[in-house]
Amino acid sequence: MTVDRSQRPAPGDPRPLRLPTFASAKLGCGLEVEIAHRESIPEVSLRLVLEAGACHESPAKRGLAELTARLLTEGTGDRDALSMARWLDRLGASYDASAGYGTCTISMHFLSDVLEEALEFLTATISHPSFPEADFVRIRDERLDEIERQRDDPATVADHALIAELYGEALYGRPIAGTRETIPVITRADVAEFHTSRYGGAGALLIVCGDADEARFHDTVEGHLAAWTGGGDRAAPPEAPAPKGGEVVLIDRPGSPQAEVRVATVGVPYGTPDHHAIVVANAILGGLFNSRINMNLREDKGWTYGARTSFGFRRGPGPFVARTAVETGVTADAFGEILKEIETMRTELVSSEELDLAQHALTLSLPLQFEGAAQITAKVARQRINDLPSDYWEVYRDRIEAVTPDEIREVCRRYLAPERLTLLTVTDADAVGKGLERFGALDVRSAT
Amino acid sequence: MPGSSTVNFDFEEHRLDNGLRVIIQPDHSAPLVAVHVMYHVGSKNERKGRTGFAHLFEHLLFQGSEHVPREGHFKYIQDAGGTLNGTTWFDRTNYFETLPANELELGLWLESDRMGFFKPGITQEKLDNQRDVVKNERLQSYENRPYGLAFETVLRHAYDEGHPYRHPTIGYMEDIDAASLEDVHEFFDLNYGPNNATLVIVGDVEPESALEKVEHWFGEIPSRPTPARPIVPSPLGRGERREVISDKVQVPRVYLMYHSPSYNDPEFEVADTLTYLLADGNSSRLRQALVYEQQIAAEVSAFTWPTESVGMCFAIATARPGVEVQRLEDEMRRVLRTVCEAGVSEEELDGAQNRARRGLVQQLAGFGDRSDAFAHAAVLRGQPSYVNESFSAYGAVDRGAIETVARDVLSDDRLTALHVVPEEVGGS
Repeated sequence: MTVDRSQRPAPGDPRPLRLPTFASAKLGCGLEVEIAHRESIPEVSLRLVLEAGACHESPAKRGLAELTARLLTEGTGDRDALSMARWLDRLGASYDASAGYGTCTISMHFLSDVLEEALEFLTATISHPSFPEADFVRIRDERLDEIERQRDDPATVADHALIAELYGEALYGRPIAGTRETIPVITRADVAEFHTSRYGGAGALLIVCGDADEARFHDTVEGHLAAWTGGGDRAAPPEAPAPKGGEVVLIDRPGSPQAEVRVATVGVPYGTPDHHAIVVANAILGGLFNSRINMNLREDKGWTYGARTSFGFRRGPGPFVARTAVETGVTADAFGEILKEIETMRTELVSSEELDLAQHALTLSLPLQFEGAAQITAKVARQRINDLPSDYWEVYRDRIEAVTPDEIREVCRRYLAPERLTLLTVTDADAVGKGLERFGALDVRSAT
Repeated sequence: MPGSSTVNFDFEEHRLDNGLRVIIQPDHSAPLVAVHVMYHVGSKNERKGRTGFAHLFEHLLFQGSEHVPREGHFKYIQDAGGTLNGTTWFDRTNYFETLPANELELGLWLESDRMGFFKPGITQEKLDNQRDVVKNERLQSYENRPYGLAFETVLRHAYDEGHPYRHPTIGYMEDIDAASLEDVHEFFDLNYGPNNATLVIVGDVEPESALEKVEHWFGEIPSRPTPARPIVPSPLGRGERREVISDKVQVPRVYLMYHSPSYNDPEFEVADTLTYLLADGNSSRLRQALVYEQQIAAEVSAFTWPTESVGMCFAIATARPGVEVQRLEDEMRRVLRTVCEAGVSEEELDGAQNRARRGLVQQLAGFGDRSDAFAHAAVLRGQPSYVNESFSAYGAVDRGAIETVARDVLSDDRLTALHVVPEEVGGS
């Protein structure tokens, strides 16, 4: 008997989506705690979100929030940096602290058999960091080295130049971890002061998911963090910068065998009422593998390994970016095709087939997006960082499914007008050819 | 208490009449299923003048088959809310998707069409298009990346001409250009039979019904003659090798590669644990010496590649500005020598084991990654139960074993050393 392979096999009965359920608590110091129990794997994922991000530092000291986060493990109480490292490494736990625009997030991952000690370690780093001068200098110098090394990577050069172009001196215009200009002026006293004023239970959220029952989690957290006083308020989200566009920037990197290509504009905050229409529009334009831009530049033209677009939703208006890397000789053609695809989204309605694909890809993937403990804590953290409503995921599917072709065209008209778009490439100026002038006056800069 | 956590996944192993090995591991903790097919063919099977072919071929398997249209794999899987990909490595090529559990058969339909009905779907046009995509992949991920050509340079010096591990999986540009439709047909016939493949299913399924579905979709695909395994000569005994290349970078980087136990070797976990002890965590030997104390390195890493035939153990350090590259290498080698000569402490070994075990659990947590681990254990070791056994194998590594393996592996005559240094800037 031959198998009939002519049709995609019909799916079985859909299984219900089980979003994780959290037990919430608030400690006396103000710290909120969200706990979800998952027992299939003996692991624990923990994230602590604090109101200690880059928006709370002076722009002249950009990178202060990040340096503070990086220094938390470099000495606490009477333990020096090496003793802290030995402690963490013996537990086998991972610990990562990094600043965002508004908040700082500390993420830990460990086996459930070290839960108590891992919490003890976390507590030491957030409540009693000692910031030894020598370690401050070492971590600051490491950051300066990192900035220099990032200049070797054309994709990073493009991304940094792009945000500066879009946002200038504003919060989203500079790397969170600071620049060659700002890092050297930060002092150890700045770090200690930033920690004192911003770190504490008030306004903070601890998210724990993994293999321990809720009572054990709760007692352990309460035992260590009940007295973690202080903390900080939430800042207002940044405003949108004055609209601009029409720039065509070429950053010359002699000898580059490829061109990093970006088409971008200032986008919208998470809270925008047309959020879900934008999500679907982006999926069709450049969010999915089968999106228009990737199908065109990769699968039709063969110019690139991949092309994508994204709306960077944040509390304030994050960037919309179309990004790819192409053979240098087709740089101008690639810009032309990206602009053409954006324009088509603004003038024509998407097909029902494309709309179905995007809506299914976004909604049916929810179980996958909530698969593991680390993904779950990341989702909850993101909800907190961006002020998403508590029912964001419960209503997500209905909202996405309700989006219409007209709404998609409307958001593309509203946010992706050609006069708002900035074009930027990092490549060999001699090899790129003349074609870029047709998009506007060319601003050629040196990569160094 | 530390060290008490463990993992054990109940799984079933079957073999269809056509030789397809099937592993099913039910897990009802999420309404998902991972479908993973691994073929026992990789870049080490490529012939001279066709480097990169196994990987180019992997791209072509996403271009449709007799019953699946071009880009159909991506479209169907995304439409079902799943994710998918494929990867190529020295020893194997894999194709995998994670789907909502009620779409298990979609994955089986797509993978069986690939395995049994690929050739009618392939055309010269698709080959030319994916050749361009792959050449851009090489440009983007290797040639236009800082230090991007380092690994292929190490391989070229670590192995003799003609050795199966001498060239990178991505291949060389001129060889990617040379691939023909005839090569494609020949490679498929030789390597893509069910008896050269392992199918792993992990997730919210009932094993009995899942196996019936596998039999339905894959059972009629005929087996092929078993391909000959490439002969992989021992790389030992060639003495220390060295090379210097320049790149568009501002600081030098040192790559030390030692021939080490392969993924099949009983001492693999020992060598792997050694790399955790050397460079994972701020208290590890290399980080402590080079980053904390001497402050001559900005970044340090060490790892083993879980290759089938002969193993590779890397230690890599990036210099801080102004640090001379030879001094960095000398200091790295001094630290390695200290481990060999003075041994390791119980405390640092415990930590290295705990970090390795945590890494292992993290790697086995998701269904997709777990299916990958089962496939590797089955294809490269012939031992799917290794997924469960590895946890205790890492726990059983003792000081004596670490010290013996360190002395064997970290010896000068097994070393290939590469310096990547900044290009001389001409003109001004």
